[in-house]
Amino acid sequence: MMSAIERRTAGEWLQLVAGGAVVGAMFYPAVWMVLSAFKSNREIFKHPFGLPAEWRWANFAEAWDKGGLGGLYVNSILVTATAVTLTVGLATAAAFAFSRLEFPGRRWLYRLLLIGLLLPPPVVAIPLFTILRDMGLLNTLWALILSGSAWSLSLTIFILHGTFNAIRPDMEEAAMLDGANVWQVFRDISVPMVWPSMLTLAIVNTISIWNELMFALLFVVDDDKRTLPVGLIRFFGRYSTDYAMVFAALTITTVPILALYFLLQRHVIAGLSATAMD
Amino acid sequence: MAGRETRAQPIATGAANLLFVAPAFLLFGLFVLLPLISSVFYAFTSWSGYSAAEWVGLANFRRALADPVHLASYLHVTLYILGTLVLEVSFGLVMAVVLNSDRLGFSLMRGMFFSPMVLSMTAAGVLWAFVLDYRLGLLNSVLRGLGLADWALPWLSQSSTALIAIMFVSGWRFAGFYMIIFFAALRRIPRNIHEAATLDGAGPVKQFFTITLPLLRQQMLTCVLLAITGGFAGFDLFFTMTNGGPFNATEVPATWIIRQGFDNNQLGYATAMTVILAVVVLVVSVIYLRVTERGDDVRY
Repeated sequence: MMSAIERRTAGEWLQLVAGGAVVGAMFYPAVWMVLSAFKSNREIFKHPFGLPAEWRWANFAEAWDKGGLGGLYVNSILVTATAVTLTVGLATAAAFAFSRLEFPGRRWLYRLLLIGLLLPPPVVAIPLFTILRDMGLLNTLWALILSGSAWSLSLTIFILHGTFNAIRPDMEEAAMLDGANVWQVFRDISVPMVWPSMLTLAIVNTISIWNELMFALLFVVDDDKRTLPVGLIRFFGRYSTDYAMVFAALTITTVPILALYFLLQRHVIAGLSATAMD
Repeated sequence: MAGRETRAQPIATGAANLLFVAPAFLLFGLFVLLPLISSVFYAFTSWSGYSAAEWVGLANFRRALADPVHLASYLHVTLYILGTLVLEVSFGLVMAVVLNSDRLGFSLMRGMFFSPMVLSMTAAGVLWAFVLDYRLGLLNSVLRGLGLADWALPWLSQSSTALIAIMFVSGWRFAGFYMIIFFAALRRIPRNIHEAATLDGAGPVKQFFTITLPLLRQQMLTCVLLAITGGFAGFDLFFTMTNGGPFNATEVPATWIIRQGFDNNQLGYATAMTVILAVVVLVVSVIYLRVTERGDDVRY
């Protein structure tokens, strides 16, 4: 018995060392990025490892100003908040209808929606560009909000549909018998019932829309309407030899997201893996 | 993916219920279906985006099939997908097993391993462009520090290594995602199966191949499908890190389509290539689903 416990401990040590080595190596670039952001270009070149000789907080202020990072943050927040609210709201109503209601074309519409699950967005980028242009939405944040939201609907409805189907409609049936109309049932019973799923999907969609690059690259031209991913590429293109500047900008744009992630880790992981497991 | 659920009785019937799906479908129709349908039309035209589209029949498709860069982009994306199966799916699976422990520190390690998933591909791409930089990149600094100066290469600016470098960055970004999927499945395997195998004298490696792997079959199939469809849609990392270069060595369908369409104003030609891409993705996915559905599911 004693030997069995000892053997397990040795195995666990091996597991810890192996896991720690891989995770450490993979996380190190992020640490290197933050440390380099405090250094001067000369120091990055001469002493790539180790702590900065002098912590140059001024690098961040300079990157913030030069890159217009404040404006980029505001645009990203506006686009993401609006698009996520729109997506989760419309998707919940649609998933409710597909699961709980009967109406003409139900099966057919649901199948049509699933096309969006397999389709890669580059497939529609070009015609979407001209549609947005004809609607006068090109070069506005609405172009990103509406297309980002539309492209998130398939997955969101698909997963919420699964959530609804996993819950028996007893409560809703009872409310209908008590004389509530469908809208009241949806608002007062169904939405509170799937609320946890809605929050999870809000997180999933926040990550994907916050990070969206291609639409943001193609549909917005003005610098003051850009979102973070495109802004970062522009910044990289303009200051590609000013290493400290790019590291500072990278740190400013990634560290808050990472901090938020570690704070909400459980929900983020649950959400992102739910998208693959249904 | 989702199995067939038995549907409960609807709580209400009637055309008025369409109002619940109408807003979602307005958005979906306008920004997904309409552009999809119009791509099929524009694919047969010569069109710069501003003048009227002119019908040219199959000319765009003939050109696409003779365009060496376009054909090479499918080779690159295939290699990339094969690379992701190893560096994302398989690596994620191995790490799910390694990080599957309740001991102190493992939860943090799983969180750290997963963390690149929340970063944008642009941030990941820019960061790694610096890690892989020839002169002062982290990787070459480490190699030089280890006395392996000959191994320090201009990773992203030479054709022979650029695609492989992108695969590794992609692995760095996505392995955590697959790890978590496999990890969640591992947690559902009853512990006594492994305990019984240990008593029977099976070592951890043998247990992995004879117990764990067969029980993860369903997750495996899903992950491979995600890697395939995600791979064909790959754009961000390629655009950020190499934009198809050097000398088109990392050109994938999405980057070539965007370049032809928006930089060269050949929207008709670019749209034809998007139609080809859509057909390829759908055909590959359908074949994959057909082939894999024949196997029996392992249940536990």
